[in-house]
Amino acid sequence: MKLVRWFVLLAYLALAAAPLAWMALSSLKRRDDTIAPHAKFLPASSAVDDSASPWFEATLAAYRDLGAVHAGAQESFLGHLGSSVVIGLLSTVASVALGTCCAYGFSRFRVPGAKDWLFFVLSTRFLPPLAVVVPVLIMYRALDLQGTHLGLIVLYTVFNLSLAVWLMKGFLDEIPRAFEEAALVDGYSRGQAFLRVVLPEARTGMAVTAVFCLISAWNEYGFAMTLNSSGAVTVPAYFAGLQGNIEGMPWPQIAAGALVFVAPITVFTVLVRKSLLRGMTFGTIKQ
Amino acid sequence: MNSSAQTGRGLAWALVGPTLALLVAFNIFPLVYNIVSSFTNAELIGGAWRSVGGANYARVFEDELFAGALRRTALFVVCAVSVELALGFVLALTLQRDFKGKQVVLTTLLIPMMLSPAVMGLYWNLVLNGNYGVVNQALSALGFDPPQWLTDRDYKFWSILLIDVWMWTPFMMLIALAGLNSIPTSIYEAAQIDRASPWKVFTRITLPMCAPVLGLAVLFRATDALKQFDLVMAVTGPNDAATQTLSTLLYQVVFRDGSVGLGAAFSCVILVLVIALATVFTRYIDRVQSKDVNA
Amino acid sequence: MKSTLWSVCALLALGLSACSGDTSSPTPSGATTASASKPSIKIWWFQWDPATGLQELGREFESETGIAVEVQQIPLASYQEKVFLEFGGSRTNFDIVIGDSQWIGRGASSGLYVELTDWLPTVVDLATIHPRAAKYLCEYPEGSGRWYAAPCETDAVGLAYRKDWFEDPAERSAFQARFGRELSVPATYEEFRQVAEFFQRPDAKRYGCAMPSDRNYDGLTMGVQNLLWAFGGRWKDEASNKVVGHLDTQGTIDAIEFYKTLMKLGPKGCERLDYGQVLESFTNGSTAMILNYFAFFPGIQAQFGDKVGFAVVPSHEGRRVASLGGQGLSVSAKIPREQQEHAKRFIAWFLQRRVQERWITKPAGFTANSEILASPEFRAKTPYNAPFADSVDAMRDFWNVPAFNKLLAVTQRYVGMAVDGEMPTAEALKKLALEKERILKEEGLL
Repeated sequence: MKLVRWFVLLAYLALAAAPLAWMALSSLKRRDDTIAPHAKFLPASSAVDDSASPWFEATLAAYRDLGAVHAGAQESFLGHLGSSVVIGLLSTVASVALGTCCAYGFSRFRVPGAKDWLFFVLSTRFLPPLAVVVPVLIMYRALDLQGTHLGLIVLYTVFNLSLAVWLMKGFLDEIPRAFEEAALVDGYSRGQAFLRVVLPEARTGMAVTAVFCLISAWNEYGFAMTLNSSGAVTVPAYFAGLQGNIEGMPWPQIAAGALVFVAPITVFTVLVRKSLLRGMTFGTIKQ
Repeated sequence: MNSSAQTGRGLAWALVGPTLALLVAFNIFPLVYNIVSSFTNAELIGGAWRSVGGANYARVFEDELFAGALRRTALFVVCAVSVELALGFVLALTLQRDFKGKQVVLTTLLIPMMLSPAVMGLYWNLVLNGNYGVVNQALSALGFDPPQWLTDRDYKFWSILLIDVWMWTPFMMLIALAGLNSIPTSIYEAAQIDRASPWKVFTRITLPMCAPVLGLAVLFRATDALKQFDLVMAVTGPNDAATQTLSTLLYQVVFRDGSVGLGAAFSCVILVLVIALATVFTRYIDRVQSKDVNA
Repeated sequence: MKSTLWSVCALLALGLSACSGDTSSPTPSGATTASASKPSIKIWWFQWDPATGLQELGREFESETGIAVEVQQIPLASYQEKVFLEFGGSRTNFDIVIGDSQWIGRGASSGLYVELTDWLPTVVDLATIHPRAAKYLCEYPEGSGRWYAAPCETDAVGLAYRKDWFEDPAERSAFQARFGRELSVPATYEEFRQVAEFFQRPDAKRYGCAMPSDRNYDGLTMGVQNLLWAFGGRWKDEASNKVVGHLDTQGTIDAIEFYKTLMKLGPKGCERLDYGQVLESFTNGSTAMILNYFAFFPGIQAQFGDKVGFAVVPSHEGRRVASLGGQGLSVSAKIPREQQEHAKRFIAWFLQRRVQERWITKPAGFTANSEILASPEFRAKTPYNAPFADSVDAMRDFWNVPAFNKLLAVTQRYVGMAVDGEMPTAEALKKLALEKERILKEEGLL
């Protein structure tokens, strides 16, 4: 039984990690080596002449090229990464701020129809982006928000509110009311109690919420490709937009870029690993 | 007291108001826009709208294209969710006990889930390429005659499913693991005293006790898989008859063909389905939460 | 009702931006805004060699006139959507768009392209523009004398082959022994298939032929239609636009069936190659022959030197038609007047004989100037110029009506199903013909 367990686990681990390992290898290649008819899977430190050999010369050129503008693009990968960072971070801050306030309202006050409102908030997440993107596009055209950082920031903020509200409500519910009541007795106003007593207690929850808002904004593609097709282009839309490139896809740069792109997300996820599941299920499962 | 309750209510609305208003606005405007334009010949570029009555809806219901996309999406959701659930559950069983390096293994397993589907879909084009892709080279070297994963009409749909399984099995695993961990060890001990067979323990204790949490997992994945867009766009594009899903067909209709009216009618039909699903979902969450099954 | 809701949304969106503490102003999308100091124009084209050549000419224009030119290159797969998303806004990011030939119907009838009918004859002698280029690249409706674009790149599908393989004595005698004739550049599709079959050696990673077959934009359609016309098929009745009874005929069926057999004689996965991938299958040295646009051939020539040869597309029973490529320069109607004047000034400059002479020296700069095309110097200048000039006389285009994109999408879908064997060819064409007539009726074109 134990043997079977290990076998299953290791077999899956190997299969699941293989594409990632291949990506890491590809990021060290030159383009010709990524599409060679004889797979190159062994990095070597010097040039390899034999085209049928599994060895390839490892190089960091792809990482260096991340700052270069590729044919068919207007900006380098780093430029697009900048857009992703600005849009991801600001929308995350906004979602967490609004979501925390809203969740606090639902957690501590009697809001008429609270349950219905909460489920309405959750249900907004079910809508396929493609079903609402045209009206949003029309709206953004009128407001001149198409192709701007601000446009996607607003959209991702709204898009992530359901997550932020649900997660934060769970975290706030866990903070004992006695804390605030004590503060009120001490002469704090409601607002002061919220800011000075509740928020510090909710720090962890806010961090977890922020990570999950960031992930979904970071990886979003449907809105990004349609609303920001030629300005403030984020990384997923940038890479996908290279398809049909006459010089072919720059595979080493894509591999290197994808690794750089996922690195911060991985770090954040490890930091909040204890609340990972909670974040992924909108707080409906509290590990 | 009365005035404090008043300010309390005011404060409550001040807290929840902005968020709710934003969500209502960003949902109601598209809804109204879609409903109105679905009865017109609206195009992406300019031109005044002209009413076409129910013609767009007639096309949605008659044209095989839409029914096909719906069927394909349903198949995708069912297959993706069940395979991921089964695989994830098995993995969770292997990870139930603690061992050295478990955190490292877990983190590695979770990485695919954090990747951008649009970028990964693109990258799998390289891995599964029929000519120089590493998968086919390896299979050929082992003596198989590998298929054309991304271009053969019998395979491309399943290849996309495979990528989805690779990305999202960890999610199911994580949830299943939480479910397993929430079962008190005392129950297992009692079963041991009763000399229940391992199979019986699994079917009578482990599965039923995990079921509510797994139900949540299924619903979360199903709503996500229903929106499948990024992978299909990256692998075959929106106009491939063998892989067209609801979202990619919408993209094709609206952004390639420019038929906003027809797309809106289709969106409204999808919306009805989504609302139905959302109702099931929210009821279920409500039930699970009120029972407070999660530890 | 709608407008109230809309303004509510607008207010909320703005309110939120204030809440979020985001003070960064939106990045200016109209980068072309003519600053008082230095006028400039922006041109959009897809990403390929001719665009690089045009950028070089743009710098010459700038030194002569002081108006800066920026050519922005966008990969083909998303080019159409990006351009039309721009046109949907109040002002386009580009001043000149080099739109695919078939977009002209939509551009002209939706008022997106500035009409050039009265202006163009004042800057160029229209008689010097090759009649096929004028008809397909510049006028809408075809041959109506109403101009919405000036010719920029003229292009057609041609054949590139590995001359060194064709001339290899061992290959020649093996071919002679197998097929009883000499190995030569194929003049007909039958010969083309024979040669492809001969060179198809997957074990040695050597393949017979490759041609456009991608489903994403227009690859498959452009690849198939070379055969379609040669085999006696057609997209429509030229006079009446009727499709049923014209598209679903034996000639079209034969063409697609033949195309299917060619898909077995290429590199693996050759049922879905975009233009770049067709090119790649040749430049990686694995494929004997490709059918692709002439604009890609100078790059091949530069890489392979005299190991490569070029020819016109094969024929069938004496019929030879090449898929038209190429694009015209159109001025966006959604830019300020002043910018339109700068754009026109560039077009006028570009069309001069002396600049066209410069244009043909650029990589893949192919002119529509019939005097240059007919000149012996042009034909002798490169190995691909003569077959190119001959192809221009044989080129034809797909639909270019405003509903082009819808017609293209259904064509790609149904022809794709036929090629993949998902549906019998005859049935697929019947359905395609009905679909097309439905679209044409909706658009009032039938």
